[in-house]
Amino acid sequence: MPNDYRKSFHDDLNELKAGVLHLAAMATETVAQATEVLLTGDMEGAARLIEGDDALDEVSVDIDERCFRLLARQAPVAGDLRAIVATMRINSDLERSGDLMVNVAKAARRMYGVEIPPRLRGLLQDMSYEAGRLLRLAGDAYSENSGALGDALHDVDDRLDALQREMVLAVFESHAKGEIDVSVAVQLAVISRYYERVGDHAVNMGERVLFMAEGSLPEHNGAARARARREARVAGATDAAGIDAAAGADGATAADVGAKTG
Amino acid sequence: MSAGLVVVGLGVAALLGAALAAIVIRALQGRRLGAVLATAGLDSASSPEARLHRLERFVASAAATQRAAEDAETRLVAALDAFPQAVLLCDEAGELTFANRAAARFIAARHGDALVGAAVRDLMAEVAGRGQDRGRREVQLSGPPRQCFNILVQPLTSGGAIAVAEDVTERRRLEDVRRDFVANISHELKTPVGAMALLAETMTGEDDPELVLRLAGRLHHEAMRVGRTIDDLLVLSRIETDATRAVEVVDVGLVIAETLDRVGQAAENRRISLEVEHLEPGLRIPGDARQLASALYNLVDNALKYSEDGSVVAVSCRLVGGDVHLSVCDRGIGIPAHDLERVFERFYRVDKGRSRRTGGTGLGLAIVRHVAQNHGGRVTVESREGEGSTFTLVLPSGAGEPVTARAPLATTEG
Repeated sequence: MPNDYRKSFHDDLNELKAGVLHLAAMATETVAQATEVLLTGDMEGAARLIEGDDALDEVSVDIDERCFRLLARQAPVAGDLRAIVATMRINSDLERSGDLMVNVAKAARRMYGVEIPPRLRGLLQDMSYEAGRLLRLAGDAYSENSGALGDALHDVDDRLDALQREMVLAVFESHAKGEIDVSVAVQLAVISRYYERVGDHAVNMGERVLFMAEGSLPEHNGAARARARREARVAGATDAAGIDAAAGADGATAADVGAKTG
Repeated sequence: MSAGLVVVGLGVAALLGAALAAIVIRALQGRRLGAVLATAGLDSASSPEARLHRLERFVASAAATQRAAEDAETRLVAALDAFPQAVLLCDEAGELTFANRAAARFIAARHGDALVGAAVRDLMAEVAGRGQDRGRREVQLSGPPRQCFNILVQPLTSGGAIAVAEDVTERRRLEDVRRDFVANISHELKTPVGAMALLAETMTGEDDPELVLRLAGRLHHEAMRVGRTIDDLLVLSRIETDATRAVEVVDVGLVIAETLDRVGQAAENRRISLEVEHLEPGLRIPGDARQLASALYNLVDNALKYSEDGSVVAVSCRLVGGDVHLSVCDRGIGIPAHDLERVFERFYRVDKGRSRRTGGTGLGLAIVRHVAQNHGGRVTVESREGEGSTFTLVLPSGAGEPVTARAPLATTEG
């Protein structure tokens, strides 16, 4: 009988995983759709995308409910507990990514009839491609339970960040040349930010996969840096007080870490 | 599609029949032997030997039936596995009971396949649950690459439902091409002819010589435009039907020089510099010189049209493996990703207003593609909006080895 419980628990976990992959596919799809809507001025498509977000929310709510049920009924521990907690947070990252693309569709509505200069169109297309790729990779990392891939997303995201910086500069240039007016320039800069945020959500998902798979947190996030700095401070204080040598040695390594990451 | 579904339906019916036979046989082998013997007529009054004999025969035939049923099931599963379409079965509750090999990609899937899988399950549950007649859904994936799936679900009389999912991307694409072609060709031919009729009508009864002159000018312009379209259509149809094209040894450098000469004046007028990069001297390929020149001319002409004044258009020619890569690169406005796969279609225009103003017929790239195909090669395009486009003609350089320096067709004696 306990065996049966176990089996059904793992069936539930597998279903949960399938649900997240479904949501990830939906979110990825909205990135390409939103870009198409924006670049072609397809108002029907914009309406479809905005309405379609409700379906995405429905899947997301369902995933959350399953997670709560599993936590309450099965009281999972260790890897299973991490998997469920990570899934809940990945769930909200995906849901948020969908919302950001709804924002793009809404911006496309506001910008209806505006001719976006070719260079900016090219950059938007590139950002869309990168954001979609990041979400796909995050889905792969989750599906394969690969902490290494999850951790690597941080580096992949650099390209999207660079594109966004390039985009903002190009928007300024385009405005200076008189190709677009101020309101369009602001819209486009904000839109580029939406794509960049999707990339950040994908990176977050990657970190959560790393946590789920290996129980470790990434070394390059703010929490790790804050901890290193605090340890360095503590070490400095103990060094000054000249307390015992072992604490001093510990402090030195902490200070090293602080210097490296700070 | 529907024929396929009927075949699949028959297969499924047989599959269910086989399953039923297996259940009967299992019951036969089970505890209720008495009842079974009664149905087999073994309890009738006869000698024990005869009854034993009949029993043996009955058991043997039951075993044979079971084997046949198993064989049939194996054969049917193998047949369903051979289908290019994904075939899935579910029970009354919508739970999946069977999936053929092609359907495996939609189960526990990720990315686009997960969306198709979810749509299939949704529709199956709907049809199986409510006993609806049949359901059809189309799933469009924005990609990249862009894909389109058609899902058809039909309820089974035995309960549950059968789903057939199929990738119809290529079919939809061809439908679009055909539909747009018919719409476009009538537009391309009718617009100038309509304009000419109108201009001629205005001219009749017009006394002002200056106005008549201006109308005549417009008339001439429209006539030239429709003339160019017809010329290009004729060129295209000749290239398409020309199976017996002249195979000669073509000097690529000469083709490039000729082409640049032809567009030189137009480029100069707009201060666009034409550059030739990586040209291997004396590079020759087998082909039709006139067709190749026409293809390259169209590519360079296009590059010029979409470049800004004072820009650069570069032609390069390299040997990659056994192929000659003839590229034309511009720094123009580029092509939206959305249109990239369609630019080689006849009359396809990215920006309708602009290309008509520049005097294009909308057939140039279609001609290029056909020339490439006639030479056993292909044409590819890479583009980024705002940065420019690179079109590359990939042509086989001959039977395995590149033909350079000396003419291979002339046999040297001695």
